[in-house]
Amino acid sequence: MDVITSLPVLKRLTRYSTYLMTLGLCVGISASTASTETTHANEPLSAWQQIEAQGSNQDVYFYAWGGDPQINAYLQWAADQVDDQYDINLVHVKLSDTSEAVSRVLAEKSANNNDQGSVDLIWINGANFATMSENSLLLKQWANKLPNFALTDPENNPTVNFDFGVPTNGMEAPWGQASLTFYYDSLSTSTPPMNLDELTAWTAQNPGRFSYPKPPDFLGMSFLKYVLVMLHEQQDAHMGQDISAQLNLPATEQNTALVLDPLWAFLDGFHPTLWRGGEQFVQTGAQMRRLVDDTELSLAFTFSAPEVPAAVQRYDLPQSIRSYAMSDGSLSNTHFVAIPYNASHPQAAQLVANFLMSPEAQAKKQTPAVWGDKTVLVQSTLSPEQQALFKTKQPHPSALPFDSVKRTVSEPHPSWVEAIQQGWQARYGVSP
Amino acid sequence: MSQGFDKMTKKGDNPKPRSLEQTDLFTRIVSFSPKLLILILILPVLCGLICVLLPALSWVPALEKTTLNLQGFVDLWQTPGITQMAALSLATGLVSTLLAFGITLMMLAAFFNSVWLQRIEHLLSPILVIPHAAAAIAVGFLIAPSGMFARLISPWLSGWELAPDGMFPHDPYGISIILGLTLKELPFLLLMALGALAQPELGKKLRQQYTVALNLGYYPIAAFFKSVLPLLYPFLRLPILAVLAYASASVEMPLILGPNTPPTLAVSIMQWFTDVDLTLRIKASAGALLQLALTAGLVGFWLGGEKVIKALCHDALINGKRNYADALWQKITGVLTIVVIGFILLSLVGLVLWAIAGYWRFPASLPEQFVWLHFQSAFTQMGTPLFNTLTIGMVSTTLAILLTLLCLEAEQLTAKRLSHFTSLIIYLPLLVPSIAFLFGLVWLQQLIHHQAAFFHVTFAHLLFVLPYVFLSLASSYRRLDPRFAHVAASLGAPPAKVFFQVKLPQLFAPILIAIALGLAISFGQYLPTLLAGGGRIATITTEAVTLANGASRRTSAVYAIMQMALPLIGFIIAWILPKYMFKSGAHSTSTD
Repeated sequence: MDVITSLPVLKRLTRYSTYLMTLGLCVGISASTASTETTHANEPLSAWQQIEAQGSNQDVYFYAWGGDPQINAYLQWAADQVDDQYDINLVHVKLSDTSEAVSRVLAEKSANNNDQGSVDLIWINGANFATMSENSLLLKQWANKLPNFALTDPENNPTVNFDFGVPTNGMEAPWGQASLTFYYDSLSTSTPPMNLDELTAWTAQNPGRFSYPKPPDFLGMSFLKYVLVMLHEQQDAHMGQDISAQLNLPATEQNTALVLDPLWAFLDGFHPTLWRGGEQFVQTGAQMRRLVDDTELSLAFTFSAPEVPAAVQRYDLPQSIRSYAMSDGSLSNTHFVAIPYNASHPQAAQLVANFLMSPEAQAKKQTPAVWGDKTVLVQSTLSPEQQALFKTKQPHPSALPFDSVKRTVSEPHPSWVEAIQQGWQARYGVSP
Repeated sequence: MSQGFDKMTKKGDNPKPRSLEQTDLFTRIVSFSPKLLILILILPVLCGLICVLLPALSWVPALEKTTLNLQGFVDLWQTPGITQMAALSLATGLVSTLLAFGITLMMLAAFFNSVWLQRIEHLLSPILVIPHAAAAIAVGFLIAPSGMFARLISPWLSGWELAPDGMFPHDPYGISIILGLTLKELPFLLLMALGALAQPELGKKLRQQYTVALNLGYYPIAAFFKSVLPLLYPFLRLPILAVLAYASASVEMPLILGPNTPPTLAVSIMQWFTDVDLTLRIKASAGALLQLALTAGLVGFWLGGEKVIKALCHDALINGKRNYADALWQKITGVLTIVVIGFILLSLVGLVLWAIAGYWRFPASLPEQFVWLHFQSAFTQMGTPLFNTLTIGMVSTTLAILLTLLCLEAEQLTAKRLSHFTSLIIYLPLLVPSIAFLFGLVWLQQLIHHQAAFFHVTFAHLLFVLPYVFLSLASSYRRLDPRFAHVAASLGAPPAKVFFQVKLPQLFAPILIAIALGLAISFGQYLPTLLAGGGRIATITTEAVTLANGASRRTSAVYAIMQMALPLIGFIIAWILPKYMFKSGAHSTSTD
């Protein structure tokens, strides 16, 4: 029955079969000496050493969004590394949406499968994390004990302990940071909008050349949150109020209308200037990118800035594309890896999570040509040799210029996601 | 097993064929197989439906909800645009089926008994094996504002330097979905019709009637509608209903070509099922039941429509009128055929161009440069998905072929056709919207054994492969000349020997075609692979859909081409091999 789990093992067997054949004799001879050696090391192992001992030589099914070939290639590299270090067979299960993995763990829980889960590790943050955390679907208090977690300087760096304002309680290990980056086709428009006001003016001048992914898409929701935060900052400065503070608190029946009404008023005027008159929305960020390539759109945005130069190199975007960050602020967040409560190989998953946080893996990930995802490690905790790993080379012309994010804006409380989604769906979900 | 056999032998009213009296192992396996077939098809579908019914009534222990109520249906009813979703599903399903059926009839009528029918079939049959997702991407590229049509007239005619603000795809009326579905289902219906016409007795009878009608002065199209169609239609009914059910509940086409404010019901259900908010699953289950009702309603509507048309046209059949603007219809059909084939060819050209395109800015008709990069990068990542695609396809197809052959043999051994009930059951996985029962089935599979993803996926594929394999083999098997078997049996050959040495060699070509078809169906499965495998089993198709949603048109084009190439290789082998193997074998058997 277990055909598929045995397949990678089989593959590995064939890979090593030549070695095995030649070494078989030697192994047989040295087996007796080896066993005497292991009995010597009988002193108590540290907790981490135990995890290393239990986690080695296992499979890890890593459920992660698989829509970007660059990220997939990076994970393939990571798989080779953990294979070398721990003999772990890391399998990247490519999701088109992370919630698929959440559904899976839930389905397993409802089928009473509490220790043989199919998901070992999951790439997650925000609403998906909040859901799994609320339903007790995640393993607790492990991420803060990983050796490499200290390199994130957790005492002085709250972004690694809070996920969209929700405390992580050691349920997830930080993996990278992203901020909302805009990109435009410089052949279609020479002066891209640099803040929210300019954006509305720009779409009025260039009707149909901008859109955003339809909620509940993660990227579309991020755009709406950016708009919401900016609207309230302007309004507060203008009126001398402090409604922005409500964004860091849970959405309630009392404050929902107060906080969201300005957003709806803005969108009512904004939508008619969008692609298809705001009556149809793109489904995903990738579809939006394709429409930029088609020249239907001239301006778009992404949460993973390096995908833009990578797409240009793959011919998926024209060479006239340029990236930039809004001057009034870039919505930023941290993304994590978590282990479901019923994972089949929790120790091996921790070894992988720790490896993903290592300076070597983080530096590789930050390299623009590989992925370009910003590291979660704090440079002051690293040795000079480790810091040297993070030095960058000449960037691609379409890439986001170094240090262009002038001001970051943090994510509102995750409960606002639901409130925005419902309000949006009721107002714009059905075109007239 | 033996009990089942006893029952079968005792129940038979017909004079029992000689071979049945020998209860050797082969005969027992054969006579048990129809029961196994029914079990394999009916259990998963029914259990799947039950397992979706409970959550629809708010019974989800995992969410600590164990009281039965109708909250899910209330939520469903209050969903903004629910009526639009349902209407869109109904309209796209019905209109696309009507169009596909109508064009099939026009082609059959205009080209009946002509070499062109075969040629059109050969041109269109590769479309059969193109997965829906790939076809949707190809169609979308043609009709998009920056698509091939717009590029061909820009900027010299239209003046467009940037892609215009267009309507397709994603138009709110579902026209793009209808277009995609019609083009995809047309070859299927045409092939089914030609399959029925290939049955020697029926085909001969229909051709004779047609010739008589022509001799009596009927114009060709009138002759087809009056003398051929009434007898042909019963053979097309189930395929049409399968098309109707599929079209009203499919996910891939509306996802890629349809509107999203709101989308079709099936797409919404899929989104609710995979939403972060787990309580939405209750609404999704209720929606699955609504989808079931909608599809059932459409099927009922079609069956009712049949009766009405039959009653209305009864007089027209025998009124003796020989010409209904025949020449005009011939011309229209000719033009339509050229348009359809041209459309398909142009989208295939587009697919190939995208797969090798470098930079390709609108409104250029051709890419700036051609590169192999997309193929190279795809091939480096294709190993595991390709391996999975092939193994799952081969295992599920082998099982389907074995079971089908045994059932058809049982039919001949007992000299009794499979009951009407059984024939209907074979269609069950095609008639019940897969979105309605797959979620329940996955839940059930989790309960039984959650780690056996490969097994689950193969089993889920079997559900969809089996009907097609059965359809494809049944007509050939049933038209085997029984005299060969009788002669062999009278010479003392046991049933097993007759089966393996007389019947199978004669069926070599149809079996190969059925294998190729089974593989093609398995290769193209998206929803069953994704759900039953929990995403762990990547195939070329799941990768293609993931990439279609997540990455470049160029990479998707490469995967779409791979999706087409795999089954095509199968069909080419199936066409070529019989020319060299068992050809003489069949003859020598016949002269024995």
